[in-house]
Amino acid sequence: MTDDLESKLRDALRPAAPSEDFDRRLLARLTAAQSEPVMRRGRFASRTTWWFSAAMAATVILAVGVQHHRAVEENREKGLEARRQVMQALRVTNDKLDLAYRAVREQSSMSGGNPGA
Amino acid sequence: MDEQLAQARAGNLGAFGTLVQAHKRSVYSLALRMVGQPELAEDMAQEVFMQLHANLRSIQSADHLAFWLRKVTAHRVIDYLRRRPAVSITSLDEEAEQIGSPDPGDPLLQRHLRQLVLGLPPDARAVVTLRYQEDLDPLDIARTLDMSINTVKSHLKRSLDLMRQRIENGELPRREGQSP
Repeated sequence: MTDDLESKLRDALRPAAPSEDFDRRLLARLTAAQSEPVMRRGRFASRTTWWFSAAMAATVILAVGVQHHRAVEENREKGLEARRQVMQALRVTNDKLDLAYRAVREQSSMSGGNPGA
Repeated sequence: MDEQLAQARAGNLGAFGTLVQAHKRSVYSLALRMVGQPELAEDMAQEVFMQLHANLRSIQSADHLAFWLRKVTAHRVIDYLRRRPAVSITSLDEEAEQIGSPDPGDPLLQRHLRQLVLGLPPDARAVVTLRYQEDLDPLDIARTLDMSINTVKSHLKRSLDLMRQRIENGELPRREGQSP
């Protein structure tokens, strides 16, 4: 037996056939592998769309925020201006009253009367 | 075959199918004789053909194709065997496949010889399978497995000596369910 071991090995290791659906399964795997890049492109496209939408949303939020900030600043400016005008009016009124008071006092002192009486 | 190769390179799936038809027995059997499990061998053979399809542009000729397939299959199986613990099991599926095939020799003896091959270390198993299944000479085996020719000859001699010794010592593997 050991003398012709090599020829026995050749017999024992003769090529065998794979199962009958070997080709069909391989073709299915190849087809799936070939369609995979398309799916990847699809995923890439949806990812791009997502990023575009997110960027658009961020831009809109930023624009609204800036506009709101401007409106607040404008209102604040208007408030300050109104306050300044009120203060100015009060100062003017106060000056006028002061002036009138002085005039009345001078007139009273010249007539010898008491302006507070 | 070179024409089929050119067409397959151009994306013709039918031509690629013809190449698969021509080489599937060799690729599958190489994997089967080295791992001993038909389902696993089929998976590995399919992976090899998938890899071939992705690398068709690097294949230069029909001879190169056969060389490439043997090389990729052998290396893939050796890598697998090195990662996994050595198990020399002939499954019932392989048993059925062997009984069902036209076989001029003694089926039991042939099964025992295949078990002995499965008991060899991965590199030696590849060398013996390429030598006696694919009928490659030591130089071609050396090129296929990226080994020196002396290493191939050494693997062959030691493997044959070991198998002879085991046969002479009556160390033939027992069939499943057989009492000692």
